[in-house]
Amino acid sequence: MTAIAGPEPLARPSKLVVDGVAKTFRSGGRPVDALADVAMTVDAGELVCLLGASGCGKSTLLNIIAGLDQPTAGAVLVDGELVVGPGADRGVVFQQYSLFPWLSVRRNIGFGLELAGVPRATRQARVEELLGIMHLAEHADRLPRELSGGMRQRVAIARALAPEPDVLLLDEPFAALDAQTRRRMQDFLLTVWKRTGCTIVMVTHDVEEAIYVSGRIYVMTPRPGRISEVVDVPFGDRSSAVLRDPRFLDLRDELSELVSSRTTAHRFAFHVEG
Amino acid sequence: MTGADDGAAGAARAVAAARSPGRPTRGRRQHQLLRIRGGISLPWRIGLGVVGVAVLFAAWAITSQILDSATSFLVPSPAATWDAFVRLWQDGTLGDDLIASVRRVVIGYAISVAIGVVIGIAIGSFASAEAYFEPQIGFLRYIPATALTPLLLLWLGIDESPKITLIVLGTVFYNIVMVADVARSVPRELINAAATLGAGRWATLRRVIVPHSIPGIIDVTRINLAAAWLMLVVAELLAAQEGLAFRIVRAQRFRAIDTMFALLIVFGVIGLVSDVALRQLRTFVARWARP
Repeated sequence: MTAIAGPEPLARPSKLVVDGVAKTFRSGGRPVDALADVAMTVDAGELVCLLGASGCGKSTLLNIIAGLDQPTAGAVLVDGELVVGPGADRGVVFQQYSLFPWLSVRRNIGFGLELAGVPRATRQARVEELLGIMHLAEHADRLPRELSGGMRQRVAIARALAPEPDVLLLDEPFAALDAQTRRRMQDFLLTVWKRTGCTIVMVTHDVEEAIYVSGRIYVMTPRPGRISEVVDVPFGDRSSAVLRDPRFLDLRDELSELVSSRTTAHRFAFHVEG
Repeated sequence: MTGADDGAAGAARAVAAARSPGRPTRGRRQHQLLRIRGGISLPWRIGLGVVGVAVLFAAWAITSQILDSATSFLVPSPAATWDAFVRLWQDGTLGDDLIASVRRVVIGYAISVAIGVVIGIAIGSFASAEAYFEPQIGFLRYIPATALTPLLLLWLGIDESPKITLIVLGTVFYNIVMVADVARSVPRELINAAATLGAGRWATLRRVIVPHSIPGIIDVTRINLAAAWLMLVVAELLAAQEGLAFRIVRAQRFRAIDTMFALLIVFGVIGLVSDVALRQLRTFVARWARP
């Protein structure tokens, strides 16, 4: 459906609705289906993951939710309102290279607030608060190039959170980090999520990360990119103990199977076609 | 051969043996001056630059010496050139010429850079501006600006305006095309990040594309400044009452080759100084882009 028809929305609409989204690219004159009939519903305060191997269209879907890309069919709603372009109500953290290299950490974080015309005093207070939450206070006046990869991503998260978005979208935010830093950043993300109570959609290809961080996992398979499975994660509070929970291990094996077998099958099919 | 078990002492012995002359070695040893993309130490850097200038100077001095004995004053000696320079400076012509020429270049090139930055950033940011401007600029760019000089003299007379116009026309297309490339090289991630933080078209231009392009724009300005001086010389050779290039034409009439040499060196020094100044400016305004 491309139009929101009907009368008043019922009761309280879901925070984020993705309905029948499809995306077709043209590649060398031939149409390629990047996404086909994708649907998902996320309630306020949920943290969900889009899990899939590279090339399954998960980043395309995130970009469509962000409004950076337009769907060929279908629609995205936030609080019942149609998404037509990017906006500060949907903060995005990209994989890397997205900090403004000429601005200090402080001014990177304050960027969205400056654009929104938030008064200086309020802005400074909010930036200071985020610097504290993100453990960045002593680096506030440094340039991005003087920071480590983990610090840069903390700045990127703080910058996306500063305008208090309705939904925070994360596109493989920790993929470029080393294993230890990645685990720390995952705990850190959970802390931030609990403190702010925001709605989070995170794209990842890392099965353990998806289970560790999210309450629900949408497994995506490629060509055309679609959601093949929706898995609820049966853990409450996350800690490193979860990593040794037998249910965690079972779920990990099951999801790894789902993600990798599809890719292999697809690759085989591709060879046969080619 | 020593056994593997005698540890540190064994390793030290092995190193000593390997270091002894005549033993085969692994890999290619490279001198710092001949290493591709290798850095060199500051003394070498300064030393080589000084030697380069000294060689040029020596070649000049020797040439003038040889030709002086063979023919007559075709190449003035460094000393004669210096005398000419002092003479020009003391009677005030050099000062006046310098001011006249620099003024033309500064005005003309400032206009050119301003147009180049505005249109270049528009082309680099909007596909519509690119579609509109590229064909006409591709056409205009290949008309040699110097070929327009007679036309400009007819249209604009012989005062300052044709000279400044020639400097603008001779540099503006290079500036536009090169600034467009600079603006195009702003990473899409940064533009997307700004959009998701609520930036509209203007905010993205003002807060992302322009700041990211500033070091590149300074580089473009520095590179094309040489073309501005080239245009100035053409303009002054054809019609002028003062200016450095005009003074060279005058000197030709009196076969004052020493004066011509002194003025040529002034051109070189102006170029060197402005180049260094613009490099400093780039480092100063764009600390983040330092290599």
